[in-house]
Amino acid sequence: MISCRNLTRRFGDFTAVDSLTFEVAEGAICAFLGPNGAGKSTTVKMLTGLLPPSSGEIEVCGLDVKSNALELKRRIGVLPEDLGLFDDLTVEEHLLLTGDVYGVGRSETRRRTDQLLHALSLEHGRHTFAASCSHGMRKKTAFAMALLPNPRVLFLDEPFEAIDPVTSKIMRDLLQSVARRGVTVFLTSHILLVVEQIATRLIMIRKGKIVWNSPTAELPQSLEQHYFDLVEAPVVEELEWLGSRRS
Amino acid sequence: MARVAAILKALGKAYRRDQKSLESIAGNNFFIVTALLLQSAGAFVYLIIGLVLLFPLSTDPLRKVPASRLGQWPLDRRDYWMLRALSPWVNPLSWAIAGLALWAARGKVTLGLWALVAGLFAAGFLLSDLPGISAQSLWRMVPHFPGPLNQLVRKNLREMLSTLDFYCALILSVCTLAYRLAGMPLPREAFLAVTVLVILALSSYAQCLFGLDGRGGMARYGLLPVRGWQLLAAKDAAFLLVAIPLSLPLSPPAGAGAALVALAMGHDPSVNRVRAQTRWRFSTGSSVIFGFLQAALMTMAASAIFFNSRWLVLGCAAAWAASLTWYGRRMDELLRA
Repeated sequence: MISCRNLTRRFGDFTAVDSLTFEVAEGAICAFLGPNGAGKSTTVKMLTGLLPPSSGEIEVCGLDVKSNALELKRRIGVLPEDLGLFDDLTVEEHLLLTGDVYGVGRSETRRRTDQLLHALSLEHGRHTFAASCSHGMRKKTAFAMALLPNPRVLFLDEPFEAIDPVTSKIMRDLLQSVARRGVTVFLTSHILLVVEQIATRLIMIRKGKIVWNSPTAELPQSLEQHYFDLVEAPVVEELEWLGSRRS
Repeated sequence: MARVAAILKALGKAYRRDQKSLESIAGNNFFIVTALLLQSAGAFVYLIIGLVLLFPLSTDPLRKVPASRLGQWPLDRRDYWMLRALSPWVNPLSWAIAGLALWAARGKVTLGLWALVAGLFAAGFLLSDLPGISAQSLWRMVPHFPGPLNQLVRKNLREMLSTLDFYCALILSVCTLAYRLAGMPLPREAFLAVTVLVILALSSYAQCLFGLDGRGGMARYGLLPVRGWQLLAAKDAAFLLVAIPLSLPLSPPAGAGAALVALAMGHDPSVNRVRAQTRWRFSTGSSVIFGFLQAALMTMAASAIFFNSRWLVLGCAAAWAASLTWYGRRMDELLRA
């Protein structure tokens, strides 16, 4: 469902993504992991047609991303890094816009909007303008926009950050449920505990290069430990002034 | 006192930065053209600009501090009272009103003028402090439009209504309407002149159609399965929905023609040089020379329609359609770059 070969993106002399080659099968939940600045969001932007690669090939839903950008957009749902919301539209209006633009019928859009707002506990804020929403509400709105057109592939950039535990559980269940129905999910996240629960494939990158790519079941140790070993180990800095009597 | 002084100092810095955004007027077509070409009408034009600027200048500086932050600071009751009493003086307009009061006392300006300015300032100050009074409650009343771009057009209308350009054009249009309703005769040429002024007041916005969308909005445009020309058309529809009604009391065909030309020219800077704009400020165009060129072509188009034939609007529409097609393609390229 998602396939890329030798995917590379350079910004001047800096290589953000370096010769990535991987495939994600239909119905898989693939977690794309790495520290900040590793090239995760750049990769998502290339996979969704928002950023042309410097070199390499990408196919999503059997479509070449470069030559079928518009058709691809109709088949995928995206939760972008910066959420992509308009300050001057309310939560509900964002969903109605999505339905209109993706060609979902008016009454079906209404039905899906009501269901999504209810499922994501957004009903109380349906008439709130995005500019006045909390970060969590904004994220849930962008997530609902990704789901509403019933896409074949979902690209989710950090979907669980700033989300309350109940909604996080609902989102996890939703993703597992749509994956069982054949929707492919490609997500980035820093919350390894959640990733471990739902991902069926793990890809880890460091400095733009893949350092691990396997089904989750093939992990040799806990995801957290494996991540620390392969990607980045935590550095502990002693802040001796913190908690001391002198202020 | 040291705590209050520190807060007032930070407040002053934040307020000065905010006021700097009012400098956007220097890149606004209406200001540029009227300042340089219509000097004889200066007093009237500057009175309108002054009235439009008064409200955003009249906000309560203390609102710059987030309520949650103000509540966390270790301030006692006396500190709060001092902040409340001293913070309005961070706003330079408070000093200007005080100075005007001194002038009024010496008879250099009439008491009525001082009362008008002070009253408007006080109204702006108090309204900015009232909870629940916000433009957002009015934005919900923006009507729906047919077609799949309905919500985009509504959003674009809301954006346009949150620029001072619109209010400048509105005052001009309403004043002319009131003048005509009062039964006072208006020379034929005045219809053309005021129509051009109204569209001129809006024309800088046509140069920065995506200026209020922000990074998030631009990212969403890239994800929507629509063509670049559709995104531009949704922007243009909102512009025309404002411009044409405002020229109704004047010369609607000339207004429509000038608006179409303003858009046809504005597509280039709007698409190729996206310039971020600030709400409740005047829009800033791409350059003074471009502003002049846009104003000149708008005036020529409006004059040709007004003096020769209203069918010339079709020529303006053709130019606009060609620009829409060309820059729509350019937008498609840019959204994938």
